Amino acid sequence: MEALWEGLKEAVRLIAEGDVELRDIALRTIFVSGIATLLAMMAGVPLGYGLARGRFRGRTMLLGAVNTGMGMPPVVMGLIVWLMLVRSGPFGDLDLIYTKRAMVIAQFLIATPLVVGFTAAAVQSLPRDLPDLLAVLGAGRLRSLLLLVREAQLGLLAAIMAGFGAVVSEVGASMTVGGNLQGNTRVLTTAIVTETSRGNNDRAIALGIILLAMAFLVNLLLTMVQQRRVR
Amino acid sequence: MDVTFRGLEFRRSGRVVLALPGLRLASGRVTAVLGPNGSGKTTMLRLIAALERPDAGQVLLGERPARADRETRETIAYAFQQAAFLTGTVRANLDLALRLRSLPAAERAARIEQAAAACGIGHLLDRNAHRVSGGEGQRANLARALCLRAPITLLDEPLHGLDRGTREALLAELPGMLRTFASTTILVTHERDEAMRLGDDLVVLMEGRLRAYGEKGEVFRAPPDREVAAFLGYTVLGDAAIRPGALRVGRGDFEVVMRVEGVGDMGTHLEAWGRAGETLLRAMVDGDRPVPDDEVTVSAPASAVVRFPGEHATPSG
Repeated sequence: MEALWEGLKEAVRLIAEGDVELRDIALRTIFVSGIATLLAMMAGVPLGYGLARGRFRGRTMLLGAVNTGMGMPPVVMGLIVWLMLVRSGPFGDLDLIYTKRAMVIAQFLIATPLVVGFTAAAVQSLPRDLPDLLAVLGAGRLRSLLLLVREAQLGLLAAIMAGFGAVVSEVGASMTVGGNLQGNTRVLTTAIVTETSRGNNDRAIALGIILLAMAFLVNLLLTMVQQRRVR
Repeated sequence: MDVTFRGLEFRRSGRVVLALPGLRLASGRVTAVLGPNGSGKTTMLRLIAALERPDAGQVLLGERPARADRETRETIAYAFQQAAFLTGTVRANLDLALRLRSLPAAERAARIEQAAAACGIGHLLDRNAHRVSGGEGQRANLARALCLRAPITLLDEPLHGLDRGTREALLAELPGMLRTFASTTILVTHERDEAMRLGDDLVVLMEGRLRAYGEKGEVFRAPPDREVAAFLGYTVLGDAAIRPGALRVGRGDFEVVMRVEGVGDMGTHLEAWGRAGETLLRAMVDGDRPVPDDEVTVSAPASAVVRFPGEHATPSG
C-alpha cells in the first residue's frame, strides 16, 4: 500500500515538474495507439457492417475468425508482425521493424477484430428492415451507410473504447515490434516494464497511474458522448 | 402507373418462391394481395421495389423495368410490415423520407402536416419515434409512405400487430387516406376481411403461384378452385364450396346432414357447429335450438354455392 502511495506522490511530482521524458512517452503512447485505433475504425467499421448485413458463403467462418481475433493475445500478434517485418522476413525491405510505424501496424491488427466484432454486433442489433427502408426511401449506398453508422453509434463508440483500451494497455506487441527504444519507441506500458526491471518501483507505479488516468480520460470522453446519445 | 410481371421467377436456395408468368396490376387501383404465410406476398412487393432481383423475367413499373436506381426509388413508397424508425422524432423520420427525394423545405413541412393529420398522428410529430406505441408506430409508418405521394404505394400488412380497436379504426380510415395520397396501391395481407375492405382488385397467391386475380367481388364470388375457395373462407364439401356465413340449420337448395357438437350464442344470432364427415361446419340457427349429438339438416341457397365439377367425386348436396 505504501508503494502505491509513493507511486502516486511520484506521479504528481513528475507531472507537476513537467518531466520531459514522461511527457514524450505519454504523447507517443497517445499518438501510436490513437493512430492505430483510427485506422482500425476506418477498416473495421465497413468490414463489420459488411459482415453484419452481407449474405455470402463463408460469412459464419469469417465471423468466427473475427471473434477469435478479438481474444488474440497481443504478444502473439506482435510475434506475427515481428516475423513479417524483421530484416529476413517478407516485408523486411520496408525497414519498419523497431519503429513507431511497426507498433501502429501491430496495434492496428490487435484493435481491428475488436472494432469489426463490436460493429457487426451493433449493426445486427438495428431493426432488420432499416437498410431496406433507407434503400427504398432513396438513400444511396454511402448515405445509407452514414445513417446506419449514426444509428449504431452507441455500439460503435463501444468499439472505439474497446479498441483503444486494448492497444493502449498492451505491452507484448509494442515491446516485440517496437523494441522499447528510449526516446523513440518507448510507450507507457513498455516504460513500466523497464522501470520495474530496474527496480524503480515508484516511477513504474507513477507511469501506471498516468496510463490509467489517460485511459480513463479518453474513455470518459467517449462515454459522455455515448451517454448523451442515450438520454 | 401499371405494375406488370412478365415471365417472372424468383428463387431462394434453388426453390421457386414466386412465379408470375404474366400479371398486370391496374393503374390507380388498390390491389390486395392475399395469401397464406410463405405464399410469396412480401417477395412480390420486394421485387416491385427492386429490393430483390428476379432470376428470370422482369417487373415493369409503367413501361420501365424496376431497378435498384433513383428513378425506381422515386416511383415507389413502401411501408414495411414492421415499422422501423431512425433515432429522432416522428417528424424527423417523415422529413428524412422527403429530404432524400430532394423536396424543398416548405413542401416537406406541408406534406408532413397533411399526411400526419390524415393518419391521426399530428400530435405525435414531435415525439421520439422509438417511444410511440405499436398502433401509433404503424400509423407513422403509413404516414411516412403516404407523404411521399408516389405513383406506386406498397403496403405490407399495414394493420399488422394492432389491437382490435385501432385495427377497426384504420380499416375504416385507410381507403380515404389511399384515395387522397396514393395512386396505384398494392397491399399485402393474409386476412380476407382486410383484403375485401381495402382492395378494389384481389390477387390470391399460394405457394408462390398466382391462383386468382380480378375485381375482388368477382374473385370472391367465383373462386377458381376448391383450395382458393377454402382460403377465401368457403366451406368445401366434396365438389361444392359454400360461401362463408351462408349455412343455416334447416332445409334449402343445398343440403347436408351435420352431427351437432355445440351451440353458441354469438350475440346477434345462435350458431351451431358440428361435422359432416370430417368437415367442420358452422350454421346459423333460426328455429329450434339443436343439442349436441343431434343430426340436423343444414343448407345454403343455390346462389351461395360454387361447384367444381371433376375436382372431387363425392356427392354431398
